[in-house]
Amino acid sequence: MDIATKNNLFELILALADDELILGHRDSEWCGHAPILEEDIAFANLALDEIGHANLWYALLADLEGEHSQRYADQLVFWREAQDYRNTQLVELPNGDWAFSILRHYLFDSAEIERLNALAECSHPLVSETAAKIRTEELYHLRHTTAWMRRLALGTVISHQRLQAALNQLWPFTGQLFHLSAVPEGLDELGIQIDSARTNWESQVIPFLADCQLRLPDSPVLMQNRQQHSHHLSVLLSEMQSVARLDPRAGW
Amino acid sequence: MINDTQWPRFQVFVQVKPGQPFLDYGSVHAPDAEMALLNARDVFARRPACVAMWVVPAEGIFSKTAQELKTWDGALSSVPAETREPYYVFAKSKSAGTQTLLGQVEANSPEHALLTALKTYKNNKSAFAWWAFPSRLILSSQEQDIPSLYAPADEKNFRLSSEYKTVTAMREIFEQNQDD
Repeated sequence: MDIATKNNLFELILALADDELILGHRDSEWCGHAPILEEDIAFANLALDEIGHANLWYALLADLEGEHSQRYADQLVFWREAQDYRNTQLVELPNGDWAFSILRHYLFDSAEIERLNALAECSHPLVSETAAKIRTEELYHLRHTTAWMRRLALGTVISHQRLQAALNQLWPFTGQLFHLSAVPEGLDELGIQIDSARTNWESQVIPFLADCQLRLPDSPVLMQNRQQHSHHLSVLLSEMQSVARLDPRAGW
Repeated sequence: MINDTQWPRFQVFVQVKPGQPFLDYGSVHAPDAEMALLNARDVFARRPACVAMWVVPAEGIFSKTAQELKTWDGALSSVPAETREPYYVFAKSKSAGTQTLLGQVEANSPEHALLTALKTYKNNKSAFAWWAFPSRLILSSQEQDIPSLYAPADEKNFRLSSEYKTVTAMREIFEQNQDD
């Protein structure tokens, strides 16, 4: 692999890993606060799954860099500043209400499946294996969030209104979901087709939202790169990193 | 009476390995059966092994304890024979035991299913309690659900709190402070 391809691959995997980590952290914030006990447990499970997926991707980055996998993951997670994170703004926004969290998870899970489908076909064996492994669990996440989407959208006037309000707020941020690399064509060599993943995602999600009687907002989808973050990420990181930063030499 | 605003309760049955009987694992609340199945997966199948799961509306389960059977007249509601359908029958041997699937009987009503079961499963005559419900009330997970719903749990270790060193570390700090 030439150096440019390696750099592109690193950037791509870092984006995937950071998405999983930050969404996993947001999911964990529902622990003890979800509307019912069963969903409290479900969101704790989702959090563990997403952070587990992030860990798999960080291990792959360590492998690319020839670093120790757990130490490298800790270094990336606890010692980077917000501007060095490559997650989408979609996952860093605060949880909002239940409808907001469910819609955000649905948009993410459905995009994640398509990204993983694209990666599972690529020529890098470790990347394709990891993608295929993560995909099995994401299929369950998507089933869970899809079931909730239908019930909130078609349930009561209030649940529908809340979901529509969440869509108005979240839809513009979906642009970053497939903006995984500054040079998308740089991944061609590995056989990773992110553009077709986006097309597949749109052809699934847009009709589903219409079935849910939700209207796509008029506001345009933002085409920002992944270096742009809201202030919410710094707030999240300052909490997530606080224990590790109390004593840099501490082990656990 | 307390006004119960909770969602309906669904009983959850788990099959740990292919060929083994379904076992009662507990219950979940859910607005409908599909959500109950998903909730059941999260509550009961994340760590223990599982290959299939049933959810059944709790109100659809006919139940009799050995105590109740003593005074039960076994009166059958007059239901025409055409309504005969398959029922699943469960029993547990002890008060603290687990309701375990015995098998299937054909019956006209829950009462009829239990009477038939008492004759069919003579070995379990001294069971502590019995359950019966028509098979149509079951929502079951499917074979194709195994990879996404249950298989990932196989690779996840259940870690006991003793595996984390925090307690030992805290004790050391505590003892050190005592010495000072």
